[in-house]
Amino acid sequence: MKADAVKNVQLADRSPSGIKIIWQEIKKDRLALGSFYFLLIFLASVYIASFMIDQKAIARVDIFSIYLMPSDAHLLGTDYAGRDILGQLIFGTSNSFTISLCITILTALMGLCAGLIAGYFGGIVDNVIMRVIDFIMSLPSTMMIIVFVTVVPKFTVTNFIFIMSIFLWTGKARLIRSKTLAERELEYVQASQTLGTPHWKIILYHILPNISSVIIVNFTLNLAGNIGLETALTFLGFGLPESTPSLGTLISYARNPDVLENKWWIWLPAAAIILVLMLSINFIGHALKRSADARQRRG
Amino acid sequence: MVLLKIDDLKVHYPIRGGVFKTISDYIRAVDGVSFELKEGETYGLVGESGSGKSTIGKAILKLINMTSGRIVFNGQDLSKFSFGQMKPFRQDIQMIFQDPYSSLNPRKRVADIIAEPLRNYQCLTVGEEKKCVQNYLDKVGLNPDSMYKYPHEFSGGQRQRIGIARALTLKPKLIIADEPVSALDVSVQAQVLNFLQDLQKEFKLTYLFIGHDLGVIRHMCDKIGVMYRGRLVEEGISEEIYENPQHIYTKRLIAAIPELNPERRAQKTELRKKIAKEYEQLYPEYFDEHGRAYDLKSISNTHRVAMP
Amino acid sequence: MWKFILRRFLVMIPQLFLLSVIVFALAKQMPGDALTGVSMDPRISPERLYELREKAGLNDPWYEQYRRWISGIAQGDFGKSYTHKIPVSEVIAERIWNTVFLALITLILTYLLAIPMGIASGRFNDTWIDKVVTGYNYLGFATPIFIFALIMLFVFGFSLGWFPTGGSVDSKVDAGTFAYYLSKLHHVILPALSTALIATVGTVQYLRNEIIDNKYKDYARTARSKGIPETQIYTRHIFRNSLLPIAAFLGYEITGLVGGTVIIETIFSYPGVGQLFVSSIGLRDFSVVTAIVMMLGFATLLGTLLSDIILSVVDPRIRIE
Ligand SMILES: Nc1ncnc2c1ncn2[C@@H]1O[C@H](COP(=O)(O)OP(=O)(O)OP(=O)(O)O)[C@@H](O)[C@H]1O
Ligand SMILES: [Mg+2]
Repeated sequence: MKADAVKNVQLADRSPSGIKIIWQEIKKDRLALGSFYFLLIFLASVYIASFMIDQKAIARVDIFSIYLMPSDAHLLGTDYAGRDILGQLIFGTSNSFTISLCITILTALMGLCAGLIAGYFGGIVDNVIMRVIDFIMSLPSTMMIIVFVTVVPKFTVTNFIFIMSIFLWTGKARLIRSKTLAERELEYVQASQTLGTPHWKIILYHILPNISSVIIVNFTLNLAGNIGLETALTFLGFGLPESTPSLGTLISYARNPDVLENKWWIWLPAAAIILVLMLSINFIGHALKRSADARQRRG
Repeated sequence: MVLLKIDDLKVHYPIRGGVFKTISDYIRAVDGVSFELKEGETYGLVGESGSGKSTIGKAILKLINMTSGRIVFNGQDLSKFSFGQMKPFRQDIQMIFQDPYSSLNPRKRVADIIAEPLRNYQCLTVGEEKKCVQNYLDKVGLNPDSMYKYPHEFSGGQRQRIGIARALTLKPKLIIADEPVSALDVSVQAQVLNFLQDLQKEFKLTYLFIGHDLGVIRHMCDKIGVMYRGRLVEEGISEEIYENPQHIYTKRLIAAIPELNPERRAQKTELRKKIAKEYEQLYPEYFDEHGRAYDLKSISNTHRVAMP
Repeated sequence: MWKFILRRFLVMIPQLFLLSVIVFALAKQMPGDALTGVSMDPRISPERLYELREKAGLNDPWYEQYRRWISGIAQGDFGKSYTHKIPVSEVIAERIWNTVFLALITLILTYLLAIPMGIASGRFNDTWIDKVVTGYNYLGFATPIFIFALIMLFVFGFSLGWFPTGGSVDSKVDAGTFAYYLSKLHHVILPALSTALIATVGTVQYLRNEIIDNKYKDYARTARSKGIPETQIYTRHIFRNSLLPIAAFLGYEITGLVGGTVIIETIFSYPGVGQLFVSSIGLRDFSVVTAIVMMLGFATLLGTLLSDIILSVVDPRIRIE
């Protein structure tokens, strides 16, 4: 009966849901809208293509077609082992994007938990969480990630995601905490408390929706940032393991001066894809940010 | 019958200072306050800003942790309970908040706001819940069809009515009204106040009415407690406080009420000056060396004054 | 205020301790220790090996080993590098000045770029010049440093040949001569510029917002109503108020650079600490790795400390926290 009530209430609720609001904000900004469509089409084709192509065929070494220039057989040429660049690009893009998305989601969850709890309850809990955050933030994170990656006994994609997340949730937690702190001062929170609403419900159903726009903006910008970070680490050789090619893997071939100077087709397309991905995600994020800021000003 | 009894309530906030952030002193927001509320009466708490009125109200509801003291509601000592254990008692004690703008969650529709307490305590069907919400909207003089609107679609006075409807849904015995009209226009104030009085008759409510406007308080309250720096300086039924104030601070507060009659305005100014001078001179007699008011002493059956 | 600074220093002590414990724990996790080379030797019996380990203290409880390790570090003794066969401190000493030099030039370039851009777009906001700067900011914000650096290297290093593509100095010039320093500068420009062009974005954005904020503040309006020329209002009041916080970010900037050196030095084959770090991991020379992490971790802590303190002097509001 209770569930029924909830359902009915939602039906009656004609107010725009979170996703609808986001969509309206994006639609207002031409650049953001263009970026959105581009991302949608681009990522959809990459993911579909990655399902259709046989990954083993791409990964097979072919010593007769090493470093081939772009041609009909290999649209974007081949690498030092004669593997097709276009195929690697497709797998690299889907891997890089998926993994960055996972990291962003995981860090968002960690940041939400820590930030909401610290901001809502305050006191000792807040103090402990903030000291931990301060400490992690004062570490040289790039180096720490690299060391963890080399030290971890079994290096897998999951491990990589966890290692990255340990060092990347802190900024989010801090942001969410400060927003929660401000929200908690408003009387509607105390009102809910006097109405007998338990703390967890107040946090999830009252405070969270009110700070969601900040979280979404931060999520978008972080997603772009994480793509950059993941590919950079893979470029250095400490990112995704060999078995999971990333866009950074292709660019890392350019650490060989000969490839960088003379064989642009190996690294340049991957670099361009990273740039375009990050730019278009950023355009969307900045459009959302502007509208969130404006809404905040309007009150 | 005594509904709520507050006994030596203290709320102290530590002031931390120094390199190690050790506690160097306390802000004594409420510092030993005792009073009682009888069923069906309206008790007014007045005092200047920062005197600790809201803190008392919030301490009763455990929105703020108290330092020491006892709060006895309906024979039950609430001070022993934790925030969670308070839940059954929250049905009986509700609060109306000062700011009608921040006390309603901007993301929730009126229906959800008013039904929030119902969902916590009762399992109603959709139809019952809807009927209940509409009923209370009607009671507070709002169109029942407005239940699907958002708070920002209402005026300040209307919002305050929504806040009142929300406090009423659980049929509480005691309502703590923390300056329920101070954020509203004067024209709307009277309307809301009269309406609160009507509700009191209809639902047999007891009010703890917090305010700093003495005119409003007089209009509403049977009994009044005057607060100064976290302590009660005088307590009595309304006539006693207004016609026969004993404490120098109360006298000053009463003298500060604006005079509406233009002919008596000059006279009032004169009185105000006299009292201000008296206040300066007699201050040491009414407060101890730390500027703290003395304990209350009875001077009649109902009238208590803080005197040495 | 002194209390804040003192407290901030005291906070650093447990942080430093924790950092060292983590680095030590990581070092223990790393494959191999001081005797790995010896243990491979078939001529040494297991008993003898055990004896050696006992003597080197490798069988002691971890806290005992930690105590010895940390007191060594306090005296500048980071152990011995097993690839270079010399003390780690010497290996690092060779490289550290290159890194410091690179960081210094990067910082100078970052501020040289940020200040005029920030001021121009803040003062003339919503003009074409502001639009250009803002557009640049968007691009810079979205571009990862390693890709930008690669492209810079490709264009100015390889294609155009204006700058060297690796090393920190031309091996043909003699140390100490003017040509030597010139060559050093020549080697450092491209990596420094690549970082600065990207890293400057945050500062530009901050400065722009700060100037726009100040522009409409009461004091600026008052000055304007008194008839003080616009240029003077900017030079005397607004810039002073907006540039101070920027100065305070110096420490955070350093913190950011520490992370960047690893990538930049690798791309430009610049023999600094960052590149040493990457190559040492490749060579499994973990005593060097540990030392670098410890050292740069310390630098990061110091950078944050520096900024926190300057900021607390400039802006008293944050002291409350
Ligand atoms: N979290 C806190 N920490 C320290 N001091 C506090 C805190 N909350 C309240 N105080 C202090 O407690 C005192 C009483 O505050 P309270 O809100 O009860 O005043 P009030 O009488 O309701 O005033 P107003 O009429 O302005 O609402 C104030 O002096 C305030 O400074
Ligand atoms: Mg108050």
